[in-house]
Amino acid sequence: MSGAEPTLIASPIAEWLGFSMEETDQGALYRLSFDEKHIGNPMIRALHGGVIAAFLEFCSQCALAAKLEPGATLKTVNVDIDYLASSRAQDMTARATILRLGRRIAFVEATGWQEDEARPVAKARCRLRIGE
Amino acid sequence: MSRPDINPAIGAMLRNASDWLAHEHSLFRTLNFEPLLVGKGKLSVAVDLPAGFTGAGGVIHGGLMTIIMDSIFGFTVFTALDQLKPIATINLRVDYIADAAPGERVVCAGECITIRDEVAYVSGDLKTQSTNKLIATGSGAFMVGTRGLKKESRL
Repeated sequence: MSGAEPTLIASPIAEWLGFSMEETDQGALYRLSFDEKHIGNPMIRALHGGVIAAFLEFCSQCALAAKLEPGATLKTVNVDIDYLASSRAQDMTARATILRLGRRIAFVEATGWQEDEARPVAKARCRLRIGE
Repeated sequence: MSRPDINPAIGAMLRNASDWLAHEHSLFRTLNFEPLLVGKGKLSVAVDLPAGFTGAGGVIHGGLMTIIMDSIFGFTVFTALDQLKPIATINLRVDYIADAAPGERVVCAGECITIRDEVAYVSGDLKTQSTNKLIATGSGAFMVGTRGLKKESRL
């Protein structure tokens, strides 16, 4: 971890999401650790779409925070999420890519999957405002 | 609370779902879910923003707004249907207009603008209940009548 990440990861929403991350040779991998409270409709036993969006937005924030100086702030301007495939009641893994890091605005894309990275469940695009 | 122009079967389902969300659902019961208006294609619900969803900076993380909007927009689609069918979110967009403090009570309103070619278009917003301050706006598209309730649908 580096930059502004520690404050994010210590926040209550991270705990609610069961959030964790690990550094790999191909960059950071983020994880949502499944819990019953992440289910939308119990008849379907899938992750709530909003929970997936919240997780992918959080991944985007972490990816950006890692590039910022400690003490820098970031705030999501907006988020667009595409639900590409149905999810299951299990953990989700994600990667985030910074498309462009400007002085004030960053564009980040996060992709989440469950069993197979080649079959993404959802993709989120976030725009974030960077503050000093 | 319920309007007669909603299909009776869907009205009954929404009342059951509403009771269930308020008392059983592990997430929504912690939000003190309370429907304020249920009309055909229109829905307005009050919820709490609990401190457990605080992000960095001591304000409520936007992710909770998105969770609330995805759910309420989905229910808004149900109110617009003539018969009960499974639905699934295709995509969702949320703009974060203002910060919300932990513990704030907000009203999420959704309106189903139209359903065309089995795609429902919903837009709405989230405002503080006490001061009517705009916190977030959102819009989403939902597939109506997915293939196979268990595997393909989501809400």
